[in-house]
Amino acid sequence: MARVLIVDDEPNILLSLEFLMQQAGLEVDTADTGESALAKVAASPPDLLLLDISLPGISGFDVLERLREQPATRALPVVMLTAHGREVEKEKGIALGADDYITKPFSTQELVARIQALLGNSSRME
Amino acid sequence: MPPRQRLLGLWLLLTGILLFSGIGLLLWLDSTLTLDTTERAAVWLLCLLPGVLVLVLGALLEKRLFRPLRQFQVLLARLVAAPDAQSDFPLDGWLAPLQPDLDQIREGWRGDRERVLVARNEGAAHAAYIQQELEILLQVLDLPILICDEHQRLLLFNPAARTLFHDQPALGLGRQVSQLLPHASLGDALRQLPADGSPRQLLLPGEARWLRCELRKLDAQHGGALIVLHDTTHELEAGQRWRRALAELLPRLRGHTGSMRSAVEALLQAEDKLELKRRLVQAINQESQMLTERVSELTRLVESQQLSQSSLEDTWSNDLFRALQERLTAQSITLTAIGIPVWIRVDGPALLAMLEVMITHLCATLKTPSLDVEVLLGNHRVYLDLIWSGSPLSEQLLSRWRDLPLFDDELSPKISDVLNQHDADLWSLIRKSEARACLRLPVPSSLRGALPRAADTSQERPEFHDFSIAELPPPDSVQSHTPLTRLEMIVFDTETTGLNLRGGDRIISIAACRIINGRLLAQDSFDQLVNPQRDIPAASTLIHGLCNDDVASAPPIDIILPRFRHYVGSGVLVAHNAAFDLLAVRLAGDECGVSFDMPVLDTLLLSRALDPTLEGHGLDVLAERFQLIFPPGTRHTALGDARVTAELLLALLPRLNARGVHTLEDALALQMRVELESKR
Repeated sequence: MARVLIVDDEPNILLSLEFLMQQAGLEVDTADTGESALAKVAASPPDLLLLDISLPGISGFDVLERLREQPATRALPVVMLTAHGREVEKEKGIALGADDYITKPFSTQELVARIQALLGNSSRME
Repeated sequence: MPPRQRLLGLWLLLTGILLFSGIGLLLWLDSTLTLDTTERAAVWLLCLLPGVLVLVLGALLEKRLFRPLRQFQVLLARLVAAPDAQSDFPLDGWLAPLQPDLDQIREGWRGDRERVLVARNEGAAHAAYIQQELEILLQVLDLPILICDEHQRLLLFNPAARTLFHDQPALGLGRQVSQLLPHASLGDALRQLPADGSPRQLLLPGEARWLRCELRKLDAQHGGALIVLHDTTHELEAGQRWRRALAELLPRLRGHTGSMRSAVEALLQAEDKLELKRRLVQAINQESQMLTERVSELTRLVESQQLSQSSLEDTWSNDLFRALQERLTAQSITLTAIGIPVWIRVDGPALLAMLEVMITHLCATLKTPSLDVEVLLGNHRVYLDLIWSGSPLSEQLLSRWRDLPLFDDELSPKISDVLNQHDADLWSLIRKSEARACLRLPVPSSLRGALPRAADTSQERPEFHDFSIAELPPPDSVQSHTPLTRLEMIVFDTETTGLNLRGGDRIISIAACRIINGRLLAQDSFDQLVNPQRDIPAASTLIHGLCNDDVASAPPIDIILPRFRHYVGSGVLVAHNAAFDLLAVRLAGDECGVSFDMPVLDTLLLSRALDPTLEGHGLDVLAERFQLIFPPGTRHTALGDARVTAELLLALLPRLNARGVHTLEDALALQMRVELESKR
């Protein structure tokens, strides 16, 4: 079963996403800050990271940058999650190495579809 | 040798040669031939004839041709040097027939020169007129304008530019534009302006402000340029504030919506997991509350943005009512503006259209052809009251009116749209001050209006003079018995060069307003500056704010006073501390033959009669005591004080009535009693 780490500082969305991802047949772990997300990735790397940009402390972009610097996590699929609808942020996320980008509010169906597409790709690559 | 002398020499030489060779031939023929007398005479004649002929011919040519030619030459030279000099020596000899032609040329030329001179003067006058028009135009333009020459030196700037650069000493004729606006981009742009006069836009950032300028070349030959400036700091800042607020708000809205949507989707799939369901419902509840708050924030933001961007303009309430009356005249509705006019901040065309629809419906509902309208200062807004005698309208009716369209058009805005635009609403109530109903419309007030000047209280007008209004002749019996509420009253005030009226102080401003049937007419006023034909002392300028320059171009009192007398007509005069103002107009009236013998009411005396135990009956104290609200800057101008006095009188009328003072006669008797008591 593929394991997804969801990073968001909003407890309400974590609660919903955790349950919905589980319903979609994924194993889910959560983190509410960038620091704890990095620690969890280091401890046991997930198959995919769902990463919110606006986090207290280090931002989602910072987390992404640090992951891409490490050889172990360079290829870890990352989906950026943002409440900003600006095109330039999407560009920045992709430039920093995000694999996909999804804007709040979103439909879970679409999110799951994108996650599964990425997981399929990465498993094929492996 | 000049040609004339050469010609003369040639002629004399030829004559000499011919004569001598003739004489030689003659002597030779005479010695070789034997001639009788007749033959000798013939030989003499033949031998001397050529010489004599050349001599005579030369003399003839000199007299008839060469001398007139030289004279012609002199005449031409003189004509060129002094075209208007008269010619005293007419041409003679064979050139004499040329004289009329020469005279015609001279006259023609003179005429042409005169026409050129006239045309040049006319052209110069026209150019001066156009220049004057342009200068006036520049003076009144709100846009700051600079004109510079090809070396980028200032040739001209208007008062708006002076206001814009009031803190910069570099604004001066002949100064470099770069001293005023030290932006290299401006210098470059001025040098590279297109010759065809098409404009170039430029934004000049600065520490304190951002200026947008439009540059264009004045004419292709000279490099002069026109610079039109526009201070965009406020616009840019407002735009930035709005964008920043929006940029902060939108992600939060998206975030809460995202959380809510996910929670709903999770709830739909939660089936029998009761604890999860409870937590999800709690999450939805929290998110929906946050969402509500954010949407309220967004609404406020959008509304404030709409309000700041819509074309709300400072408008003088009297101007608005005048325009409204013009629209309503076609429907035979009369609107009477009462009270003290104020500045309001409205979208004039939209408000006019809305008021027209509303008043038409109001008059149809009330079955009345006339309404009063008054503007009152509220806390942060101005109340626009439409007033009638009767009962207020129901909220049910008003809510139907809010949906009325302004025009017969499907897409027409409704009354509620204009109300929203002004962040306003409307309601109906009984007015506190009188037993009349009104429809009240609160509109934004304007910040405009002079700030109230700090009055120098040490210069309060003396309350008693060597003149008493009690000395005036009594009114006729009809006027005496007219109720105060039906009396036509002219409330007036004067500003003077000082307080010593008999010692030479003069009127510098006189103003009045009219009360008819107990209502102060807002649009009926008299307001005139007067040239006192003497200096205004600085101490008196402190009180009324008028200085010598303000009244320099005003007419003198002998022009103004008859006009004021005409405005008063058969009305009763009213003033606060009337003895002073009346003495001022009567002294001036003695000089220019205008008399003021009508009855006079004094609000100071009336107030003292009503409240003899209270201290302080100055206009400011009374205005506060009677809660008379007037715009800042109203007081200490003649018209402002007259209007406040009028409002004070209207506030005193119900109390006078309650004391049994109903008619003019009663009021005059009351104030005479107070005056005599005070003097005692």
